[in-house]
Order: sequence, then structure tokens, then C-alpha cells
Amino acid sequence: MNRLQIPIEHKKLANGLHVVVAPDSAAPVVTVGVYYKIGFRLEPQGRSGFAHLFEHMMFQGSANAPKMQHIKLINSSGGVLNGSTSYDVTNYYQAVPSNALERVLWLEADRMRALKVDDENLKNQRDVVKEEVRVNVMNEPYGGFPWLDMPPVAFRNWANAHNFYGDFADLDAAHLGDVQAFFKTYYVPNNAVLLLLGDVKPGEGLALAEKHFGAIPAGAAPSFADPSEPEQNEERRGKVREKFGTLPAIAVGYLMPTRRTGDWCAMALLDQALHGGRAGRIHRELVLEKQIAVEVDGGVDDLFGYNGPTQMTTKILHKPEHSSEAALAAFDVVIRETQEKGISADELQQLKVKWRSDYYATLESGRGGYMPKYGLMHLLACFTLFDNEPQLVNTILDGFIAVTPEQVHEVARKFLRNEKRAIVFRTPAKNGLPAGAGVQEVA
Amino acid sequence: MSSRAVEVAKGVPPLAPEREVVWPKRTKERLSNGLQVILAESHSIPKFHGQLIFLSGNAAAVDRAPGLAEITATVVRTGTQKRASRRLEEDLRRIGGDLSTEAGSDVSAISFTGLSEFAEPLLELVQELAREASFPEGEFDRERRQKLEEVKLNRTQPGFLASERLRQVLFGAHPYAQVSPSEAQVAAYKRGDLQSVYREFYTPQNALLLLVGDFEPQELFKSVEKVFGSWGGNKPAAKTFAAPANPRGRRVYLVHVPGAVQTQILAGCHAITRKHPDWIKLGLTNTLYGGAFNSRLVMNIREDKGYTYSPRSAVNALRQHGYFSVSAAVRNEVVAASLTEIFYELDKLRSLPVPETELADAQNYLSGVFSLGLATQDGLLTQFSTVAQHDLPDDYLETYRAKVRAVTCEELLATAQKYFDSANMQIVLAGDRMQIESQAVLFGEVQAFDAQGNSLQS
Repeated sequence: MNRLQIPIEHKKLANGLHVVVAPDSAAPVVTVGVYYKIGFRLEPQGRSGFAHLFEHMMFQGSANAPKMQHIKLINSSGGVLNGSTSYDVTNYYQAVPSNALERVLWLEADRMRALKVDDENLKNQRDVVKEEVRVNVMNEPYGGFPWLDMPPVAFRNWANAHNFYGDFADLDAAHLGDVQAFFKTYYVPNNAVLLLLGDVKPGEGLALAEKHFGAIPAGAAPSFADPSEPEQNEERRGKVREKFGTLPAIAVGYLMPTRRTGDWCAMALLDQALHGGRAGRIHRELVLEKQIAVEVDGGVDDLFGYNGPTQMTTKILHKPEHSSEAALAAFDVVIRETQEKGISADELQQLKVKWRSDYYATLESGRGGYMPKYGLMHLLACFTLFDNEPQLVNTILDGFIAVTPEQVHEVARKFLRNEKRAIVFRTPAKNGLPAGAGVQEVA
Repeated sequence: MSSRAVEVAKGVPPLAPEREVVWPKRTKERLSNGLQVILAESHSIPKFHGQLIFLSGNAAAVDRAPGLAEITATVVRTGTQKRASRRLEEDLRRIGGDLSTEAGSDVSAISFTGLSEFAEPLLELVQELAREASFPEGEFDRERRQKLEEVKLNRTQPGFLASERLRQVLFGAHPYAQVSPSEAQVAAYKRGDLQSVYREFYTPQNALLLLVGDFEPQELFKSVEKVFGSWGGNKPAAKTFAAPANPRGRRVYLVHVPGAVQTQILAGCHAITRKHPDWIKLGLTNTLYGGAFNSRLVMNIREDKGYTYSPRSAVNALRQHGYFSVSAAVRNEVVAASLTEIFYELDKLRSLPVPETELADAQNYLSGVFSLGLATQDGLLTQFSTVAQHDLPDDYLETYRAKVRAVTCEELLATAQKYFDSANMQIVLAGDRMQIESQAVLFGEVQAFDAQGNSLQS
């Protein structure tokens, strides 16, 4: 039933850099991304937040494009740019009118070849990153919930359990030597993929990639710490104080099965059965029917884009007149139902249609409408770096369409178990009860 | 006041010749019931995006209660004569659709996207919501309670508190001053009030249907006629409001957020609507000031001084009035230092002509970014929707880039002098009063408020 086939050219240059071209000449716009296979999960111990701080440093200047020049040259070519750090990859991307393609490649090659930054740049970006953490986490109601709250509760391996945005003491301790070492270790062509999407002919794109990136020397293959977790055999619980908001919040995370297995596909559809918008079972039960919760959402953060232990997480903001145990009990009723009865063939059929529709949207999706093909870029990058198989973009849907109701029932029993989950309670410092109401203990 | 000389790049490849920017043809039709329909093809994915826009929003009902159009839109989605909430949501999922209902100051809208193969059933569902929403009692009660919690949560967010206060300061007695109801106002919402708003606003004569995506326009238009053809209803009576007074003199409004570890700065002044002949010039001046990553404000207070992560400026156009605003979330110690730089950069643009090369960079940015919207169905819909909502000329998209490129340095200077009204900027600070008030007083008379909008004693 997959009606969308993306044309893809894939080549590995002699220095190990993957190049992927997905041509589409409908609009005179090209999206260019470079992904490096290092994220915050495997950043150095004692340097929490460093992968993200380093991402900021990549905008601070390279040998031929000093500070602000990359940004200035993209903006003045009519384009937009950004970067982001996630668990297992860091990306740099820009969307520009296609006449700026070669300029973008020159800029990305320059910073891959020779980052050129100093102490003043580092101090400046450390200050900027601290304000980023304040605006997104410390000064924001439910900031960091649950993506920063959950890891230390759920995981035992430092790689998965630490503060990914960074403790300020660790950010302060970072020095220029760390920046240079991190660059030398991970930002080598043989640990990266270059992506060209949109108004570019494959032959021309590959030739330009060779011209600008071909001479960058390969580095030693980076060694990566082992991110695996010891087996979890007990439910784990933790508490975090909520400084501004008045609603109690709960996050429940279950470990996901191994990526690209049949169980993984079935779990992804079960995830949709549970969390898929207002038709999702958790929303229906907790928000619409029992009306314990005010807001419910969740799922796997970035299903195709992780390469280590990951959870499917449910977030619940519930009314203060219900206890958190009562809200959790109501959630457990929903989970138990999928374990006892599975889901019907009709529900699964609905989920598959929605899944296919969502998948197409992901491929096209811009960021705020101004980063065309961001989703396609992200999937191609992850399928190349983790699987060496960018063509998965055209075939991965098949695995989800093939899932049976029995498989969904099976993964519900196998993976949605209390001893495989972790729970975070984010408890408001302020009482948000309506006047005269007491806490009810009934579910 | 950049403390460090900017170095230029060496050996940058030149730009290749530009490919022509061609906006897809729009098919415009009007049904006999008055519904305006605009369709455009875009075949990037086998889906389509649509919006049914009603040209009445919260402003048109503010005399009854703030936010009334918004809560109406919320409850519209919870049931129709034919389908209860659960059935609605499952039917939507069955055809791979997404749908949202919302209202702003000027419009109410049902936005949707779905697979092309199920276009007609999705249009039927939209039609049902527009025409036969049943406002079930239980759903209304539930949504009102949710709204109450949302209003409470909003008042713990510095960004929201700052923007709410700025709108009140700039628009006074005009309905645009109201961005959110109070808890008491939400508690007083009545189901019957929502139904009246629905009957008045949700009519074909008050509506525009935009459709962009993978379809054949004439064929889809036939579905539109079939689905929406028998819908009836009149245009609501037009409402006019007295123009808001333009605040004179620089003043500071401090919204106290106890324990805040950062201060949200938001400063603003009156500007113009999208229909105003200066709109493009002001957009360009804003791009240079703080509207792009490569702008003077970002260079100064982020890349040079490290005061903030996300400084920006914006020209905000509502249908009847507009305003210019500058925002930055900064650490508490540098509130005064940041404001000093914010005004320094405004006054510099008001005093000195911009170098030709900097103007050219900004022109390329604005015209280039404008055409990025061509590449996605959603990007196209956004542009068509802007043109329709603001009643812009038919060739607005086609002529925009040439107009941007025709602006001169002299015009830019005149635009900054006219609209970057630094002497009369209203400054809102959402932060911990104890930590920032001594800095606030340096910029004007300070009035302090709590998160609920009550005045605090000085």
C-alpha cells in the first residue's frame, strides 16, 4: 500500500563519508544536512551536556569561514539553518534556494575539515547554552519533563542516565582542549553522512560532494562506549519537584524492543493504539471517560532515530483532586486491557492507515513549514549511519503494514510489564486544588 | 556595540543563476451559498492539506466574553448530530486524517490534512463539524474544566505573561487587548453562548475553504460542491471598534514571577497591517534588526555578549492593527544591559543609513525564505491562507520578491524612523521583581502586576 517511492542515490567517498542524494525538482529549493554519529548519550563522563555545547561551537567559525560567516552566508543566500543534538546523532542542516547549493557544501566541508574556535567563543556559547537551559527547563513549567527527569530513574548505565542538557558545573569545566579532542574523535568524514534533498541532480550532487569533501582526510574509526543496560527486573520510581505548575504530572516509561524487529513494529502500532491523539486509548480513558487527567500524550520520542536503550513514555497531567496513585491505577487499567484482550483487527486496520498517512507527513515535514524534507533527511541519515541502508526509507513501512493483531497482543504482554517500567512523579510545590476540594482516592 | 571585529569568509563559491520561482495556479470558485473555495495542486506526497476559515474570531465576541470563539472551536470538535466524540475520532483515524479546530483574534478555523484517497470522507467530516456540531453538555463541561487548567498553566509561563501584558498595554479598550480569559470568565462560560457564536460565525457566507495537495482540482471541486453545496447561513453583522490609543512615553510593566531564574523581556509599539503599503519595507527593516539569525540584535546580545539564547524581533499583523515587538529571555543580572543594547540597535537603525551590502543580504534572505514555502503542501497552504485572511491582492505572492528587492537604503532609514518608535516603546518584563526592579526603573516609570493581572504596590 506504500504509494510513495523516493528516488535515492547513495555513495561512500574514499574517506568514508556517506553521501545520499534524493532528487525532487518540484520546487527550486534544496535541503542539505550533515549528520555525525555522536549524540549526548555517548558524550564523555564528567562532561554532561558537552555534545550539545559542541554543536553550538560548530557555528563559531572554521578555517575559511570565521565566526558568524556560516550563518551570514546561508541567510544572505535566502536560506535558513540550524543544528540539533539528540541521543545518538548530531545534525547540521540548511534549506536554501537551489542556486546556493555549492556554497552550502563549501561551508559544511570547511567546518568538517577545520573547525577554528577560541576561548572567547567557548565562553560566549557556554553563556548562551545556560540561557537555553534556563528558558527551556529551569524557568519553564514542566521544563525537561520527562526527557530529563526520566533517564536517572530508568537507567543504570551513565550513558543513558545522565543529564543530557548538562550540569552547569560540567559546562563550566569544559575547556578548549575538550572541544578539539571531541572534534578530532567524532567529527571525521568516516563518522558522518552528507544529505542533499530536493532540487539537485544526483550526478551533479555526487560530483560536488566529491569536489568539496573528497580531500578531507579520514580519521581513526571512533570507538564508542557500550550503551547497553543491565537487565531490569523491578519497577523503578522517582520524584521531581515542579516549581511553577499546579497540576501533578506522571511519566511512565517502558523499555522498547530491539530496533527493526517484528516486536518493534508491533510495539510502534501498540504505541499508536495507546497514544494516537484523541482516539488513543489512554486519552480516551483518562481524559474523555474518567476525566482524571487534563492532558495525556506520549510515545516513542524518535522511533527511527535512536541507537540504544529507549522507552515508550506516557505523560499524564492530572487533576489535583485525584491522587497520583489513582491516576496511575486508571492508566494501569488501560494497559491491562491490551494485555488481556489485545486490540481488534478493525482497530489495527485504522492504526495502519493512520500510520501510513503520518509516515508520508514525516517525510515531507518541514520545521515550522520552513525546513522542507527535514523528516526525510532525518530518516535517510539514521538509516545510513545505523543500518548502512538509506533505501529503508522506501521499505520500512512494509514491516508495520504486516503486523497482526496477535503480534500486538503478544508485545503488550511481553513489554508492558511493571518490572520493565519506570515512573516519575513531578509534584507541584504549590497546591492547585480548586477551593473546597479534597483529594479523592477513587479511580 | 560589537566588541570584536567581524572577519569575512575567504573563497566562498558564488551563487549559481536563480531558478524561477513559480507559485502553483490557484483555482478560485464560489458556491451558490457564498462559500469561497480556493484549490491548488502540489504532488509532493499522496496527501492534501485544507483549512475552513471563518472570518470571525475572539475579537468579534469579546463583548460577550474573552476567548468565547476559542472555546466554541474547541467544543465544535466534540460531537455532531450524527457522531459522538469517540466515533468522530475513530472515523478520522480510519481515513488517516488529522484535524484541529481553533480561533484567534480575527478568525475561527478547522484545519485538516489527510490521504488523497480519502479526500471526500474527510471533507464530509469537516462539513459536519461546521454545520451540525451538537455541543454535548458533558463535553462542554469537560472542556471548560480543561480550559480552566490551561488558563492557570499559561499564567505560570513567563513568555505568555509578557505577551498578555504587552497586548493589554498596546491595545487598551480594543478587543485585541484580550489574549486570554481569566479563570472566573472561563467558569462563567455557558453552553448557550457557544451555540450562539457557532450559529453566527460558522456560515458559508463567512467562510473560505482552502485546499492544497495531491488532487485534480476540478475533480475535488466536484466533491466540495456535493459536500458543502446545501449548507446555508448568512454573514454575521460586521463589528467595528474604535482605534486603540497609541501609548506615549516609554514605560515599564513588570509582571512578578516569584523565583524566576531568568527574565522575559518583551518590548513593543504600534505598527501596521499587512495591507499597508509600508508592510514589505517594515518586514525588511525587521529582518535586519532582529528577524533573522544573521541580524544585528542576535549578533549583539547573543553572539557577542551571550546574554540570551533566543533574541528576536517581529512584526505582528492582526487584521485591523499591527505591532512591532522585540523579545529576549535573559539572565537576571543583565536585564538593563540587554535593554540598553535593544534600544541602541533600534536607535542606530533610526539614525544611520544601512550599508548597501547589508540591505542586499536582508533582501536575499527575505525573498529566499519566502519561496521555501513552495516545497511543501503545508508551506503553500500557509501562504495562501495569509493572502486570504488578510484580503491581499491576487498577485501578492508573485510580486512579493520584486517588491522586497526594490527597497532602498533611504526607504529603510525612513521606515525605521517611522515605526521603530523607541521613545514610545512599552517595555514588559516578566521575572522576579526583587531581582530586577532596580534595573527596570532605569527605563521608565514602573508598574508592577502579579500573574493574575492585579496591580502590586510599589
